[in-house]
Amino acid sequence: MTARDLPVDGLASPAWGGFDPARTRGSGGDTLRSFAVAARLGWQMEANWTDPVLFFIYSVAKPVSSALILVVMLEVISGGSRPEFRAFVVVGSALWAFVVSGIAGLAWSILEDRERYRMLRYVYVSPSDFLVVLLGRGLARVAVGAMGAAITLAVGVVALGVPFEPGRIDWPLLGVVMVLGLTSIVAISVVMAAICLQTRQESWSYPEAAAGALFLVSGAVFPLAVLPQPLQFVGLLTPLTWWVEGVRQSLFPGGLTAVGGEGSFFTAVAGLPAPAPAQIVLFLLATGTVATLASIAVFRASDRRAKDRGLLDQTTGS
Amino acid sequence: MSAAFNYRPTASPQEAAAWTRRQILATDLRAVGGRAYPRVTGMFREKSWVFFEILLPFLATSAFVFVYRALQAPPEYVGFVVLGGAMTAFWLNVIWMMAQQLWWEKSQGNLELYFAAPMNIMAVLFGMAVGGFVMSSTRAVAVLAIATTLYGVSFAIDQWFLLIAVFFLTLAALYGLGMVLAGLFLMWGREAWHLTQLMIEPVYFVSGLNFPVGRLGIVGSLAISLLPLAVGLDAMRQLAFADAAYPLGTPSPEIEALILVGMTVFFLLAARLTLRLLERLARKEGRLSVRWQ
Repeated sequence: MTARDLPVDGLASPAWGGFDPARTRGSGGDTLRSFAVAARLGWQMEANWTDPVLFFIYSVAKPVSSALILVVMLEVISGGSRPEFRAFVVVGSALWAFVVSGIAGLAWSILEDRERYRMLRYVYVSPSDFLVVLLGRGLARVAVGAMGAAITLAVGVVALGVPFEPGRIDWPLLGVVMVLGLTSIVAISVVMAAICLQTRQESWSYPEAAAGALFLVSGAVFPLAVLPQPLQFVGLLTPLTWWVEGVRQSLFPGGLTAVGGEGSFFTAVAGLPAPAPAQIVLFLLATGTVATLASIAVFRASDRRAKDRGLLDQTTGS
Repeated sequence: MSAAFNYRPTASPQEAAAWTRRQILATDLRAVGGRAYPRVTGMFREKSWVFFEILLPFLATSAFVFVYRALQAPPEYVGFVVLGGAMTAFWLNVIWMMAQQLWWEKSQGNLELYFAAPMNIMAVLFGMAVGGFVMSSTRAVAVLAIATTLYGVSFAIDQWFLLIAVFFLTLAALYGLGMVLAGLFLMWGREAWHLTQLMIEPVYFVSGLNFPVGRLGIVGSLAISLLPLAVGLDAMRQLAFADAAYPLGTPSPEIEALILVGMTVFFLLAARLTLRLLERLARKEGRLSVRWQ
């Protein structure tokens, strides 16, 4: 077959003979297909290295251990006299497992593809949108994190005596804060991916370090009121604070609050002992929107710089 | 070039390969320095490292300090957290940059070069450990200094010499364990990556990173007999907070120092054996250059 015989429909130059950039962009269907393929690939890479039982053990050992560390710290000091605080730390640490997995997902995809498999340059030049592919790859890790969080909560209820009444769950609040919170976690993950695009291979630990810093100001395992006021203020600007508070209030309505309470910045300013569900959703929406918009801007800037400096196919060692 | 490597005419390749002890030692020392070099130099070339590897881990340690403050715990518990936070730097380094490193080098295509080079592979691992120690020390010192100042941790040390000895014995045992794991992880392949994840929080828990390990009962005792982090941390806490009401149930620091000596010897010998076995298997099965498995 000669070049002259090749079918030209859809591949030939436009009638006017120039380059039409619009033809390099796919439709919504193409984007969805890219996302689905990337998500499937991510899941295969996460899960196909062993049998399901071992995979399950590996996936839940980390979040369950994190919760146990906090539970033992609590037991050592209070000797079991504060059961409400136990629910507080178990829920917070379970949710944090979700955060750590979610934040690491995209960044590790970049590092794996660039440093280990050395495929990032090929993925980048493929017709799929780079960010969509990364989001798909990160989804698998979010799913693993969600599984770990659910199991940790189950262990907390069954083995650690966390008082839980399914009939009292505020489902509408839970649904809304989960959607908004997940969006915020992905936004932070996009920022970490943007950072890891610029750095060398030691940045494997960067997402976890960032999550550790957010752990301090998000009220995940202790009320924000124990922090100095400037740090409390920083915490209130973080969507994760409102997400953790929202999930906690939806699972344990009327339970301990991380945001309000005596000595808290929130109570001092708002004059309320704890934020109401509507306030939680509003603050989560506002901070999550800012985080999402900022993450896209940061990623685009990092993408441009990486192209400019040839970082997409640069590998490093140490 | 060192005089040990001066050209000398030989009758055969076998004779040329018969090195003197001096040549072997000089080559191995060069390998140690060469392998440590990128780790130490890399610290200064990647500026983001200071922020992500020193400042942010300090904040994560601070979170546990505030957990104890929220619980109105005795002040020495804040000190336990700070000491544990400093020691995590070494454990993370051992797991990420020792245990995984040979497998990582294999994926990058360097491993075959290590085995082909005329040096002892233990020298490469020792170089990694030296470089990793320098990297981790900066983080550990920063966490210890900032947190001690900021949270008013007061140490009560009666036996300085024993404390310093325990610290270095802990590091020797930790990096020895890292060398053993480096060989094992190389054999296990892709599972090693996931095993790394399994060796962070679960090990923190059983080692009593933020609380006295004696509180874990039989699990704590097992950890003390198996994990250098657990026994080292417990001994250092007993020595650094000599005036604190420390829970009973763990051996005295002197006994724990002896356990660390035993662990160091055992891990170094095990690493040597593992690497020999690995090298033989790798040559026999030709797997040195098989990547991504």
